[in-house]
Amino acid sequence: MWAAFRAVFAAIIADRAAALLLFGAPILYAVLYPSAYSGELVVDAPVVVVDLDRSAASRDLVRRAAAVSQVQLVASLASPREVQDWLAADKASAAIIIPEGYGRAIAQGRSGEVMLAGSGAHLLRSSTALSGIGAALASTAREAAFEQARAAGPAAPPALALITRPLFNTREGYGAAVFPGVAFIIVHQSLLLGLALLAGTAREKLGAPLSVTAAQFAGLWLAAGTIAMAQVCWFVGFVFWWQDYPRGAAPLWQVLMGASLFVAATAALVLLLASLFRTRERPLQLGLGISLPLFFLSGLTWPAAATPEPVVWFARLFPTTPGLEVMVGLNQMGGTLTDHAGALVNLALLAAVFGAVAFWRWTSPQRPPAPFGPDAA
Amino acid sequence: MNFAGRFGASFRREAAFLARNPWDLALLTWLPLVLCALIAWQLSGGVVRDLPVALVDAERSALSRDIAIRIEGAPGLRLAFTVTDMGEAEALARAGTVEAIVLVPAEATQRAFAGRGQIMLYVNAAHSAASSTIQRDMAAIIAAANAREAVEQIAAVSQPGTVRPAPLKVSSVIAFNAPASQEQQLVSLLHPALLHLLFMLAVVSAFGRELRDATVAEWRPDGAALAGKAALYVLAFMAWGAGVTAYLAGFRGWALASAPVLLMAGYFAMFTAYAGVSLLLVGLTRCMSQSLSLTGLYAGASFAFAGAIFPVDQASGFAKVWAEVLPFTHFARLLALNWITGAPAAVAAAPLLPLALIALVTAVPGVWLYMRAAQRPQDWGKR
Repeated sequence: MWAAFRAVFAAIIADRAAALLLFGAPILYAVLYPSAYSGELVVDAPVVVVDLDRSAASRDLVRRAAAVSQVQLVASLASPREVQDWLAADKASAAIIIPEGYGRAIAQGRSGEVMLAGSGAHLLRSSTALSGIGAALASTAREAAFEQARAAGPAAPPALALITRPLFNTREGYGAAVFPGVAFIIVHQSLLLGLALLAGTAREKLGAPLSVTAAQFAGLWLAAGTIAMAQVCWFVGFVFWWQDYPRGAAPLWQVLMGASLFVAATAALVLLLASLFRTRERPLQLGLGISLPLFFLSGLTWPAAATPEPVVWFARLFPTTPGLEVMVGLNQMGGTLTDHAGALVNLALLAAVFGAVAFWRWTSPQRPPAPFGPDAA
Repeated sequence: MNFAGRFGASFRREAAFLARNPWDLALLTWLPLVLCALIAWQLSGGVVRDLPVALVDAERSALSRDIAIRIEGAPGLRLAFTVTDMGEAEALARAGTVEAIVLVPAEATQRAFAGRGQIMLYVNAAHSAASSTIQRDMAAIIAAANAREAVEQIAAVSQPGTVRPAPLKVSSVIAFNAPASQEQQLVSLLHPALLHLLFMLAVVSAFGRELRDATVAEWRPDGAALAGKAALYVLAFMAWGAGVTAYLAGFRGWALASAPVLLMAGYFAMFTAYAGVSLLLVGLTRCMSQSLSLTGLYAGASFAFAGAIFPVDQASGFAKVWAEVLPFTHFARLLALNWITGAPAAVAAAPLLPLALIALVTAVPGVWLYMRAAQRPQDWGKR
């Protein structure tokens, strides 16, 4: 068993492409991927304003909206028609339109009307800009209420205020919402591509299906699991801290327990898939493309509640789906193992089933031919 | 042979190879189909619905019942639990059973009469799409509850004449995507994100394979032959681009704001640019497996850098530069202008220029390096 375990590492060190995939990729991606999200929050979304009222009240409103950190006023336009052009050319994410009569309406104790328009081309950026402007308008509304009160007595304040508090990702950064999940997709893909490449190469050199003993198979699984666990520790233990993502919410032993099951299931699937390849490059050709669908299937950004039922079930065939639920649930949200019992059972089942099929493929003396090879011709 | 002849011969040679090798053919046939269909199916709901919410009813009043009914009625929300204890609700949120907690504190009604009522919303910000839907729906619920309170409750106990409309009335609209559906935005970008990665894998394989198997000796490529080989893949993936556009614009009804000609020109320019990058990678490494690994690094994270969903304006300088050298970023800009906002063609066509530039800057050294490798047997057979 230990001989097989050591042989895996010897093979990785001897093969530059495998070493790059298994050890280089997690390091490169830990730098590359979070850099895309290093802005974390929407700041200075370009906003245009049309002030048709040109009163003291409307200028005051524009000034307040411009002071919001999510907003940068880029132009003051003459007509709503121009707004359409600016939004269409994607030069602005949102627009504030103040119709004529706004100041007079407030002075007379009626409602002053304001129109906000966000661009559908960038839903996140425009809705953040709109909510920032909304906060500025609320403060304008309070002052306007004061002004009106001097003339007409106090108005009824809104009875209820909604106070929103984000949980688990308290700064609501988008890197912090995405990368803690993406990290496990990287672990999965790195292990799959790296080990399948090695297996394909070995199979090619041997010219016959690889066949190992039960003890050797255990050594392979252990080696795959060790590499995956090292990667998980690298991301959970270092990268999340380095990037200051939410982390460490559950006790360490529970995170390690969850990680072990994710690693066991991933290693089992990887060994099974690795046994199918007969050519060194084939796993890279066919496997790289599935990263994005794997991430979406995991349900981190697109909730399972909004996903068709058959897709939800299909997604559970991949260790990344329950794996992300468990790891984000424990590490970011501070749930317990019992909270995620369903996902843990899912992982255990995948580990057992994939492990059994992989064991049969790696150890049976007469195996069906591997499908992912060059054809006879 | 003239240019057209060598181009055609190379094209037919590649087609014959694919016909013999189903796993290479898979990259441009059923693999894009399965992956694109999966994404399309998953996001076909378009709008996030029925997210589970826990209501902590510490008051048990008409107000809390009113809010409970409104949560049930909101399209994005589902009242999964009503509890009286905040601790219980927190456990549900930690377990991921609910996406948000709505707390109606004790004495909320009384405070509301004084105009100081507070409803707390705790939302799981680790799930971004879900949390923004919940915040939007809850804001609408509270606004509606306020309107009712103002009429029924406060007016009854206040002096006549003091109940006036709020001093500011704000109406907001989302231009170009009125239902604020994420299906159009996400699927229209995810499909080309998948296609360009598969395209690059296929082209890198096609060029890398000739060096690996030393079949360049028999192929003896020149510029026309290289173009003919790449043309097969550009053509196949253009067909996929047209297919996924037809699905979303025709079948799903997210009609294009402008003519589809420009979008297809964008696909063509993007694939040409990625073909140039592919040739450059193979020419530089002269090794198929290394080129494929680098493809993963180069094209694997394009979606994050494109700035279409999460803006990259505030990201680090490196991220901004990296985004600019990825053809997908420029394609995503063109797609937003052409499909969603319907900008004038002159504006929407602007991203074609950087795409052509990337194609030129990568293809020229790429062709030179590849042709050199094709003549040096010591560069063949590297694994």
